[in-house]
Amino acid sequence: MRNVRRIFRILLFVIAGLYLHYTLPHQDVARVTGVSDRLERLSAIQRIFYNQVDMGSEEGDMRDLRLINTERVKTYLFGLVRGGKGVMVYRNEDTGVYPPYFKFDSSDLEAEAASLIGKEDQWVVVTHYGWRIRWMSIYPNAVAIRPVEGPEYRPFPWFNLFFFAFLIVAFFMARAMWRQFVERTVDPAVESFEDSYDMRKSRLQKWLDSWRGR
Amino acid sequence: MQFVRFAVLGLVILTVIYWTISVYSRSVRREKLEEWWAELDAEGRAETDRETYVQEGMAEYDKGIRPKLILLVYVIPIIAVSALVYVIN
Repeated sequence: MRNVRRIFRILLFVIAGLYLHYTLPHQDVARVTGVSDRLERLSAIQRIFYNQVDMGSEEGDMRDLRLINTERVKTYLFGLVRGGKGVMVYRNEDTGVYPPYFKFDSSDLEAEAASLIGKEDQWVVVTHYGWRIRWMSIYPNAVAIRPVEGPEYRPFPWFNLFFFAFLIVAFFMARAMWRQFVERTVDPAVESFEDSYDMRKSRLQKWLDSWRGR
Repeated sequence: MQFVRFAVLGLVILTVIYWTISVYSRSVRREKLEEWWAELDAEGRAETDRETYVQEGMAEYDKGIRPKLILLVYVIPIIAVSALVYVIN
């Protein structure tokens, strides 16, 4: 039983971790080499990862998929270790309200990316979320592009830092609230129930006793 | 439509958070008042009985700034989302 609970807990942690790794923003140092649009019919599995058509448009059977082709500095271990250069393709989709990036400006981002094509030494930071899963044609979604000095630039994940700080505070807050609730509300209720139960029993007993003498 | 749903759902969630935090905050204050009264009582300086002391303390708490600060639960996310919409787009 204990092992079952432990496995369940580990599984929960892994799922939560994967979810956060997918959803939280990552920053890649890259160079835009091109943009492309293509008409796609998404499969059921792809639909899980892809977002939506441009805000305000109607979702149809087929849709345009905007992609940004880049050459980027490879990173490992959450960006701590940097490797050589490789290609990366980002999709460029509106997010709407979920995941809560509130991105509605895919077209603007495409224009921005397009303006960088051919500029050999203009490096940029591509803020994105999601994974590149090649065997299902899943791309991370680029959220923003900002120019930086060069490929040595190391972006710092400020947002993620604050997010995890907030998460830890929220966790301890929730725990304190739960303990207060148990201490002040649940325990007294249980006690008073037990007390009243005892009392009722004794009252019943008294009543039974009152018959005994007759 | 997406925004309306988001706003409604967000407000419902924030209301739940607001409500639990205010209940928690009141509970902590009540516990403290009870402890203070017990201290006063132990020193023989308690002027009123426990119930009145706690009730007066809670009335004072309701007038104080703390319950109003809990309203920040609504204000901060709304500002954060607005800022995010502005920065991203």
